[in-house]
Amino acid sequence: MAATVKLPPVLDITAAAPLAAELMVARGKDISVDGSKVEKIGAQCIQVLLSAVSTWGHDGMEFELARPSPVLVERLGIAGLEPANFSARNA
Amino acid sequence: MAAIKQTFFQECEEQLAELETGLLAIESGETDEDTVNAVFRAVHSIKGGAGAFGLEDLVRFAHTFETTLDLVRSGQIQPDAGLIKLMLRSSDTLADLVRYSRDGGDKDDARVSQLHDELTRAADPNAVAAETKPAKKQPKNAARVPQPEPEPVEEPETSPEDDFVPITISFDDLLGGGGGETQDDGQQVYKIWFKPKPELYAKANDAIKLLREISALGDADIACDISEVPLLGELDPEGAYLSWNIRLATTEPEAKIREVFEFVEFDCDLTVEAEPTPDPDFEFVPEPIVPVDQRADEAGEGPLIPDAVLAKIAEIASAEPAKAMTAANSQAQPAQAAAQTTIRVDLDRVDRLIDLVGELVINQSMLTQRVTEAGIARLSDVAVGLDDLEQLTREIQDSVMAIRAQPVRPIFQRMSRVVREVADMTGKSVRLVTEGENCEVDKTVIERLADPLTHMIRNAIDHGLEKPEERVKAGKPEQGVVRMSAAHRSGRVIIEVSDDGAGINRARVKEIAIKKGVIEAGVQLSDGEIDDLIFAPGFSTASTVSDVSGRGVGMDVVKRSIQALGGRISISSKPGKGTVFTLSLPLTLAVLDGMVVTVAGQTLVVPLTAIVETLQPKASDVHGLGERAKVIAIRGSFIPLIDVGNKLGYREEEADPINSVAIMVESENRAQSALMVDGIIGQQQVVIKSLETNYGQVFGVAAATILGDGRVAVILDVDAIVAGNRSDTAKADVANRKRNAA
Repeated sequence: MAATVKLPPVLDITAAAPLAAELMVARGKDISVDGSKVEKIGAQCIQVLLSAVSTWGHDGMEFELARPSPVLVERLGIAGLEPANFSARNA
Repeated sequence: MAAIKQTFFQECEEQLAELETGLLAIESGETDEDTVNAVFRAVHSIKGGAGAFGLEDLVRFAHTFETTLDLVRSGQIQPDAGLIKLMLRSSDTLADLVRYSRDGGDKDDARVSQLHDELTRAADPNAVAAETKPAKKQPKNAARVPQPEPEPVEEPETSPEDDFVPITISFDDLLGGGGGETQDDGQQVYKIWFKPKPELYAKANDAIKLLREISALGDADIACDISEVPLLGELDPEGAYLSWNIRLATTEPEAKIREVFEFVEFDCDLTVEAEPTPDPDFEFVPEPIVPVDQRADEAGEGPLIPDAVLAKIAEIASAEPAKAMTAANSQAQPAQAAAQTTIRVDLDRVDRLIDLVGELVINQSMLTQRVTEAGIARLSDVAVGLDDLEQLTREIQDSVMAIRAQPVRPIFQRMSRVVREVADMTGKSVRLVTEGENCEVDKTVIERLADPLTHMIRNAIDHGLEKPEERVKAGKPEQGVVRMSAAHRSGRVIIEVSDDGAGINRARVKEIAIKKGVIEAGVQLSDGEIDDLIFAPGFSTASTVSDVSGRGVGMDVVKRSIQALGGRISISSKPGKGTVFTLSLPLTLAVLDGMVVTVAGQTLVVPLTAIVETLQPKASDVHGLGERAKVIAIRGSFIPLIDVGNKLGYREEEADPINSVAIMVESENRAQSALMVDGIIGQQQVVIKSLETNYGQVFGVAAATILGDGRVAVILDVDAIVAGNRSDTAKADVANRKRNAA
């Protein structure tokens, strides 16, 4: 049973630490991160998500970025990334 | 966000201090590159942070200031006395703007715009191209690359190692026409590498926003390098791990790209390179390699490198500084870090720690008392262990106090501004000499010293120093000297503010004091007592309320604020030679060494700093004076005897001096008094608990403490009790005389 983490609308610098903590708690199980509500995201939260992706991959668990909001997709694009960068599949 | 802004303002304060230190150093002739660079960096950092928070006024002024400084830095204008003065004033105004941005309040727009104009004028005396950004960025000597040395071209004169920045220049750019040319459609391709540092984020900038601005300049191909992102367990959520490689095809000039990163210049690693487009017609034919000097001989008169190539080098070098600066910055930072590793800690945390250590001290003394009560031998292991514990506790306490200790330098620096302003206003020429700036005092003490010191400095210049012509007449140099010094002396810090002015006009002081009803006419006063009159409430010697000193507060307010800090202020003046104000302050507001005494069944603490000696009065030495007052004869002088129990209202009747102990104390004007108490318990270090914060102000009581047995004891305010006694006696005296006259 995959855990679900809902991303808050505002993911600025102050949200990075709470987000990392929330993800840490979910570590060890497959996870689906719901990005449908994201209205703002900064580079540091992107870092946290990227770190989580490689962590899940490292643990052999699945990580999925589900329903990314248009804003999220656009911001990731600016940063030279795409939603596909945010998934770790159980090989 | 508020917290980040807070940090920004804290950093601003540091930068402003740095700025002022630098400018003062320049004023005293240190015009070396390090100093000028430090000054420039300070203004630049403030501008950068202000930009991130949208503080427009601050950015605008800082930018103008920075432009002028940059010209000084690049040697295009020389910092003469006038310019230095202008820069100091600008630094003051910059400080004002920072404070205005932080606290709101009044802003002197006229002054800002006037300085703005002056700075602009200073920056543009010979129509130096100061406004265009690339020229502004041009580092020293970039335009006249000296020693012909094709690669790498060193930036000359960036003497200290950490400022040495090699600039790599590609041969492609130098030779042939192909390199660096724009494409057919007028577009140039730039390769940008951008790696934010954590500071960039901490200052509320975001990489995404910058990337978006870059994208807006043209056709950008952005690749994110995620290779440095660690696993979640090792990740610092507020760290910086991402970097970007951007390929930007744009018609905009390179300067436009750098402008995007202007505010984060010091907080990221950045390179911007124009991608060379290969020239199909170009053929590179290497010349035979000949040693340089030999070749120079062969070449005869002609230059080693043609002017066109030199110009090219200059052009490229001028485009490089941002990269160079980043490199210099990243090099300089570890060096700084090695010199001084610090962390920012919330003051609340330190205070909580200090409080806890205070509790530890109390607990430890309680434990000692319990052990004594239990009748355990002094030499037993328990007692010896307790002694060690006491030693340790004291050391912990000293170390904790040291955390709050800060050098008085910033406050002294602030005074140099006061001196400048007041000197300008009064038309006097003043030099401020400071000594002992590294002397450390508790942070709170330092903060609360600013106002009293400002006032004292104003007074010293406005009232103390004579007008230039009077000084010359008196055979003194035209320029007056105000001296501030700080030093540690027997567990206290002594701050002196002195001037070499005319000294106190005692006849006039006395006349005014009588006129204002501060003293009765015909009272005999010693010189010291007359000098002390200026501390009396409502006393002001200036016949007109001048713009400078008379801002509604007098020296009495100064005295009260010093006393509130547990300090004392005294004055000594020599006619024609000047006046010295001496402040004696406690190093900390948290503990004090005290003598524990009993009075009417109560336990009190007398601060040890006030005590001169203790003695048992003999009946033959005690004499009555007037109706109630008593004096004690000690070594040929009579000293007023004050019953503490009676003064504090513990008992109606005065105690019998013969059965009491007299504690000789010295108050701020060095007059001695003897406090009568019932007995002495011992000497002890006590933790001060503020009465004002927890209850309210009580006459004769400075604070309270908790003793080893758990009881609360009040700490005596010796000065207040002595002063109270003096005024009681004076009142009784006046009443007596009136009665006699009637």
